[in-house]
Amino acid sequence: MILLPILASCLPLLGSVAGLLTSRAQLAGGIAVAAAVGSLGAAVAEAAMTGGGAPIASAGSFIYVDGISAFFAITVAIVVLLAGIGSIAYVHAQQVRGELSPNRVRAYFVLWGLFAGSMVASVETANLGLLFVLVEACTLASVVLVAIEGRTSGLEAGWRYVIISSLGITIALVGTLFVFFAATALPGSPEQHLTWAYLVHHARQLDGTGLRLGFLLAVVGYGTKVGLVPMHTWLPDAHAEAPSPASAMLSGALLNVGMYAILRYVVIADRALGPAYASHVLLTFGFLSVALGALFLVRRRDFKRLWAYSSVEHMGIIAIGLGFGGVLGLYGALLHTLNHAVGKAVLFLAGGTLVLAYETRQASRISGVLSSLPVTGAVLLLGSLAVVGSPPFGLFISEFTIVRAGLAAQSPALVGLLLLLLVLAFIGFMYTTSRMVLGEPKGQQRQPYPGRLGAVLAAVPILLGLAGLLVLGLWVPGVLNSLLMHSVEVIR
Amino acid sequence: MQSLAVVSSGGLLLTLVAVLILLCALACLGSKLFDRYLRYYGLQSILLAVAAGTAAYLDHEPALWVLCALTLCLKGIAIPYAARRFLVRRLGLKRDTGVTVGLSVSLIIGAGLCAFAYLLLGSQPLAHGVISVSIIPISTSVILLGALMMVVRRHMVAQLVGWLIMENGAFLAAVTLTASFPFIVEAGIFFDVIAGVLIMLAMATGLAEQMATGGGLPARAPE
Repeated sequence: MILLPILASCLPLLGSVAGLLTSRAQLAGGIAVAAAVGSLGAAVAEAAMTGGGAPIASAGSFIYVDGISAFFAITVAIVVLLAGIGSIAYVHAQQVRGELSPNRVRAYFVLWGLFAGSMVASVETANLGLLFVLVEACTLASVVLVAIEGRTSGLEAGWRYVIISSLGITIALVGTLFVFFAATALPGSPEQHLTWAYLVHHARQLDGTGLRLGFLLAVVGYGTKVGLVPMHTWLPDAHAEAPSPASAMLSGALLNVGMYAILRYVVIADRALGPAYASHVLLTFGFLSVALGALFLVRRRDFKRLWAYSSVEHMGIIAIGLGFGGVLGLYGALLHTLNHAVGKAVLFLAGGTLVLAYETRQASRISGVLSSLPVTGAVLLLGSLAVVGSPPFGLFISEFTIVRAGLAAQSPALVGLLLLLLVLAFIGFMYTTSRMVLGEPKGQQRQPYPGRLGAVLAAVPILLGLAGLLVLGLWVPGVLNSLLMHSVEVIR
Repeated sequence: MQSLAVVSSGGLLLTLVAVLILLCALACLGSKLFDRYLRYYGLQSILLAVAAGTAAYLDHEPALWVLCALTLCLKGIAIPYAARRFLVRRLGLKRDTGVTVGLSVSLIIGAGLCAFAYLLLGSQPLAHGVISVSIIPISTSVILLGALMMVVRRHMVAQLVGWLIMENGAFLAAVTLTASFPFIVEAGIFFDVIAGVLIMLAMATGLAEQMATGGGLPARAPE
């Protein structure tokens, strides 16, 4: 049993080993993808094992997998897999063009493995101390990925990313310490005072002041990782400058890892302080994020920054869902996590093809993608519609659920504000992307991938992801539904 | 001020060291020579190692001795040495020109932050089994001062030192108050810091070199 989480988080490291052994992007990438498939399989097996039953736990909760963990592990593993397939095509193309030297290709896959492994590991622990250590490890592994293409702007973005996230994560550490203090009066060994299950069980005996402060610091600290406004300032630069498959992992997986950390603290705070406190904090940060994200979507010139601000907006929506609470709110927030992850992975991977074909991130210089690159164009158009929450895609269902949760929570004014901001986001987002996708092809354009294999490998993950979004929009599979309901039960 | 009362002679030593650590942070904030930043940071880390050693002695916790030795060697000696050698000397950095808020003003703000930390946390009820109560406000002050340094200084090295000071503040609280923190977690935190510093050093060097060869400051990332 305990082997499964270890397997899920250590398998991606095979990608690192492959990177050390070979600088051939296709070989190293192939091994990385095989490892990602294994990791996803292990995560699914965990979900099956924990479904409705006892969590998989080691001593001290260093490894702890319950429904929430299994759900987040599957989400992260899906993004890692899609981005892994995309990485083969993208990195190989950049290597053939001479943009990435063999050493940088090696470094890419080494860091890819470390990044993926530490993300899966982060969501499979419920020891608050180890959680901090692993989330920081995710940051450190991904920082160099952001700057790997070696541009000055990339280095700058990486610097901003590492400095702001480290600052945030230190705040999260202080939050962890305060929660630990709040528990010092409890019986039991000090080892247990950091374990989530123990804290939840004894939530009522925790010291209120210490916990209140600790929770707030943890939300601010991990919120930096999630990209909640006003701690989001690293996010657009890093997402824009990273190689596109790495952007997909940052947006689709890393932000969710931060959300997982916050979720663990929310459960403790809800039990100890009553639901109102955490709910107010999350609603405040959530609405700030949605509002700023939506406003910054308007007339963005760099399309990767556009998608980055859309990620800020979506993280805000998830926070709002958690803030509304209740079965509907929690269910919607979790479902939105999965939908956001797949949707952003699809967009950023398709963006990789655009960057390769047009050698620019300026939306105004790109036009008529639908006729020049039919598959990418179609995926971009449908993917954009999906991400802004149009039916029949998954994000519509999850956003609708969150709106219903708001109505159930008797806050029609907030729901009205949320709907208004969503409409604004829709207009801002579609204005830019539709002008890229439709219209006459113009400007210089080159073949994005050197061979047929590359083009196929680039098309596979985006088509798979889009199909997944469509399925999630039409029907939530029974297995997923029971996993989500089980997670909601754990949280409540 | 019952909350500032010292519990034992070990607690007295710990409080004294903590105060010196706080003074180091203030000294850093009040200086604008890169050499000084690193010197004060090194001194602060050595004091942190003393604090860890005291806590280890008082709690009879062998794992803390390991952390004490690691702090002394890596944070006290290796990091300041590497930063001086690979950043300050090689790039010929002397005076920090990226000071956005004057030194005296930043010191006054810093003093205000320390007062804020005491007001907020000085009267906290005693946590269970704490050796020296004044550690909580002092380490919070150190964290705030580090954050202030990251905010008011624009230069990469100054931001790096600011973060390291913050980390020292958090570590001071972690080591002395929570000697019972699982060792694996404390060691993990420690190695995260080391890895972070290595990455930041590498990136800062790369950026500074590109600035030197590319001429002038790097352009802002294209919108």
